Amino acid sequence: MSLKGKVALVTGGSRGIGRAISLKLAAEGADVVINYFRRRDTAESAAQEVRKLGVIAHLIKANVGEPEKINSMFAEIEEKFGRLDIFVNNAASGVARPAMELDDQSWDWTMDINARAFLLCAQRAVRLMKDGGKIVSISSLGSRLTLPVYTSVGVSKAALESLTRYLAVELAPMGICVNGLSAGAVESEALKMYTQGQEAAASSWQTTPAGRMVRGEDIANLVAFLCRDESEMIRGQIIVIDGGVSLAPIGSATNR
Amino acid sequence: MSAVEEKVKEIIIKIVRKPELDFTPTTTFKDMEADSLDIVQILVALEDTYDIEIIDEDLQEIANMGDFVAYIERKVAARQAA
Repeated sequence: MSLKGKVALVTGGSRGIGRAISLKLAAEGADVVINYFRRRDTAESAAQEVRKLGVIAHLIKANVGEPEKINSMFAEIEEKFGRLDIFVNNAASGVARPAMELDDQSWDWTMDINARAFLLCAQRAVRLMKDGGKIVSISSLGSRLTLPVYTSVGVSKAALESLTRYLAVELAPMGICVNGLSAGAVESEALKMYTQGQEAAASSWQTTPAGRMVRGEDIANLVAFLCRDESEMIRGQIIVIDGGVSLAPIGSATNR
Repeated sequence: MSAVEEKVKEIIIKIVRKPELDFTPTTTFKDMEADSLDIVQILVALEDTYDIEIIDEDLQEIANMGDFVAYIERKVAARQAA
């Protein structure tokens, strides 16, 4: 229960990787604010699972791509808890198209949710981190490697990673640790969107030297570590968690 | 045209960026060349405007704008009754 008494916000915390993170932080004793985009029923079920762990779960519906929604989300957190100790920037969206087919609308949508929201949420979160805090951003291998139709997300994640480094240095004097992680393919609904019709390419990313795909729980364990004081000398790093697939993406299983 | 229908039309025209769109009960999302991002933005805008929740699975039953407006009107009425 190393996070007992802490208040955590997980954006996009009701489904997939975000849900695993919400549950892990709750299991470590933190009260969890679960931000979700649209599906109340899914969010309610995540909140119920969190409450079973004996902590508070508070749901806030907000599209983090809209600055006014971010403001009202943090106003609600301030009113309900008066502070924040952990902010996990997990919410992400994207438009699965090659670069030549991206228009300004899809670019803005993806950048606003994946990159700009991290800045705006961090600015608001810091004001509530009265005794220092931890900020963790969730990125993906697509920030550095090119994956089919992943352009908009990959570019936005590159911005997210860079911002992670800038925030780590700027917020360090305030006792706030900022780090990120870059995940390989994780079994989730989001993955299906990007691998539809490209099963062969997708399978090479899903077979890792470690012998299995990355799970939401693997990500959640790393997030929890980055939220504990024992990791305080890690600053502004993007930790790759991919079972080794980015080191041996082609035929990695046969390399074992 | 009902107030809800006017609003749905206004939101859709703005998001699909087709000011000249012929919005009739038989118009489909395909006719207006709405992609998945357009549709998500339309749903989010309507949810915010009326404080309703649109269930994605419900949309599978919707063939055209006549059905869509009727669905939103039902959601708004249920919201007002609550």
